[in-house]
Amino acid sequence: MTQIHTAPASVPAPAALLTETPEQLAAFEARIAAGDKIEPGDWMPAEYRRQLIRMISQHAHSEVVGMLPEGEWISYAPSLKRKLILMAKVQDEAGHGQYLYHAAETLGATREDMVDALLSGKAKYSSIFNYPTHSWADVGMIGWLVDGAAIKNQTMLAGCSYGPYSRAMVRICSEETFHHKQGKEMIVLYAQGTPQQREMAQDALNRWWWPSLMMLGPHDADSPNSGVLSRWGVKLKSNDEVRQEYMNEHVPELLEAGLTIPDADMHQDEQGNWKHGAIDWTEFWAVVKGERGLNKERLGARQQAHEGGAWVRDALDAYAARESGAKRA
Amino acid sequence: MSELPRWEVFKQDGPGKVHQAVGSVHAGDGQHALFTARSVFARRPAAVSLWVARADQIYALTKQELDAGKGLPQGGSGSFHIFGKKTNRRSMVLGDHLGTLDAGSPQDALDAARLQFGDELLVWWIVPDSALVRSVDSAETVESWFAPAKDKTYKQQSSYGVVGQHASAHKKAARGGDHD
Amino acid sequence: MTETALTRPILTEAVKLALIARFTALADDEMILSHRVAEWTGHAPLLEEDIALANIAQDELGHATLWLGLRAALDGSNADALAYHRDAAEFRNVPLTELPKGDWAVTMVRQYLFDAWEVLWLDAARQSSYVPLAEAATQALREEKFHLQHTALWVERLALGTPESTRRTQDALTQLWPYALGLGEPLPTEADAVAAGLLPDVADVQTRWQRLVRGHLEGVGLSFPTLSPLPYNRQQHTEHLVPLLADFQRVAREFPESRVW
Repeated sequence: MTQIHTAPASVPAPAALLTETPEQLAAFEARIAAGDKIEPGDWMPAEYRRQLIRMISQHAHSEVVGMLPEGEWISYAPSLKRKLILMAKVQDEAGHGQYLYHAAETLGATREDMVDALLSGKAKYSSIFNYPTHSWADVGMIGWLVDGAAIKNQTMLAGCSYGPYSRAMVRICSEETFHHKQGKEMIVLYAQGTPQQREMAQDALNRWWWPSLMMLGPHDADSPNSGVLSRWGVKLKSNDEVRQEYMNEHVPELLEAGLTIPDADMHQDEQGNWKHGAIDWTEFWAVVKGERGLNKERLGARQQAHEGGAWVRDALDAYAARESGAKRA
Repeated sequence: MSELPRWEVFKQDGPGKVHQAVGSVHAGDGQHALFTARSVFARRPAAVSLWVARADQIYALTKQELDAGKGLPQGGSGSFHIFGKKTNRRSMVLGDHLGTLDAGSPQDALDAARLQFGDELLVWWIVPDSALVRSVDSAETVESWFAPAKDKTYKQQSSYGVVGQHASAHKKAARGGDHD
Repeated sequence: MTETALTRPILTEAVKLALIARFTALADDEMILSHRVAEWTGHAPLLEEDIALANIAQDELGHATLWLGLRAALDGSNADALAYHRDAAEFRNVPLTELPKGDWAVTMVRQYLFDAWEVLWLDAARQSSYVPLAEAATQALREEKFHLQHTALWVERLALGTPESTRRTQDALTQLWPYALGLGEPLPTEADAVAAGLLPDVADVQTRWQRLVRGHLEGVGLSFPTLSPLPYNRQQHTEHLVPLLADFQRVAREFPESRVW
């Protein structure tokens, strides 16, 4: 559901393989420029394939890990209606992970390898999911802010050059709007609710505001992967452009809900754009690197699910083998 | 163990519509894949029928591959379902079921399909009929597998339409511009 | 759901109480089981099954609100107040539904036994002369039929899969079967409503259910345990319900003056 960030130093520079000719590359880039979608089976630079597998699988991991911080609140939801909505929402996160793994599989990655990379800590996922959820209002605030920021990226990626990724994103966007709206509805209600509810909503905003801005990625000047990804039609807008759209959409609505945005330097410029104060990136990178936050717990939960489910997958495998053996006999 | 096999899923949205390639699931066997496909791809409206086929039994070719002279196996006669991607327009499905034809091999099926359905398609999928596992075509199955999704309005974004309308009007006025 | 002119005359006070008791039992079964199923969220053995279980949990919770709606039409009660502000002793679910989620075999065998019961009870309830019940049963039955096919498929694969999955599935059945029989115990107040054709006779449903589940489970090589009676029923809960409700009701009770969520 979100964009992923690795520390700049860890990203190797793209390199053309010896087997790739300038003519092939030129033809490929001409297709991108003409608005073609690249489909599995089509020629593509190895670096395009590598970057897509990295990006798509990390998106998929983010969806799957993203089930955890909200999923634990299904048990505690304060009304039957909210319980039902949250079940459907977290179910969608699983679905989105599922669609994205599919997209990466069309590039030759296997689900098994991708899951192994996640569980071994080799693959990254969005660090936003390493923040703890402290109260019920966090569920609403994640829907409004985190999913709101995610939709900005997803809408952009729905137009990307790789067919299966684009299709997954179109499907995800059609569902994600529900996530955003249910969160907004909840927070608007609490912001006008009892004093306790108001306090809970404001506290959630105080904790999620800056992480949601940061999840849209480093400033353009510090974004190492952007060049090649925008050249090849994967990333159609820069981080700062997407962040500006996000601000312009969310700030007026949060203010109208009666909440206070925790940024004393925030203001509107002459064009009406909402500008945020300076972002403190030290915490962001600490969470990305796993020095802070719940990285260990999140991965632990996924490892347990995977290992605990091995006997179930083995049973399915054995049953299928037995059935196909019976058919052949 | 190695991972469970991948099954491509084809969903029909309504009577009179064609099946479309919507994505894939991992599942142990065909029936399990069918139930899984229902959970993954029909939890929102609308659907009336699902087909699944093991991904490794589907023959796929892009226009670029065809132009480069790539072909399909010559053996194995049977009935084949032809799916095709027609445009690069934004979509959540790869393509539509174009028709079914009998042929002496996947290559023959492709040749016949190119004559019948036009040669400008961007992606071809040739699916042997013997590889398909289908949901039951009965009113009872549609009622029990697919119809109840319509009642689950809490997962439709349209159920939350009123929220924020005032705020978005405010935003539009403030910016004086349009927005995607 | 409103009472129609046709149904109103037959609802004596005793019959009304019987209906309320049955709707409460149905709602509590669905609500508590839904909660247990949802505990798998993010932890299922396959990503695809995470999605499938979330469907089951949503369907069951949806049915719970359906039954609470029928109850509200009779006594003006509030669904959230019943769900969030009753204590364990006031819940009328069968203890089968409150047992911890266990492993995948426990979850699937429990769900299968429950779905089979529900399909047959609902099928009988479609004939109820209380129209709101007949309508609700018809509506809920559609989804339950899919659940039953789905869980029957799973139980078969687990029972016939590997030696480990067979062992776990048999263990699950041995553990759960005595609790599952609680589904078939008649409610103390419902004899008149059954005689009047308002509610299904659970003895009949029980017979059909035993035939169905024994046929399927023995067909895949499982065996049924010999029984010793349990000290638990819809009035006497196991030690698992109190902690379950502590989770379920946590936020609602933490903010007692906030009734709108």
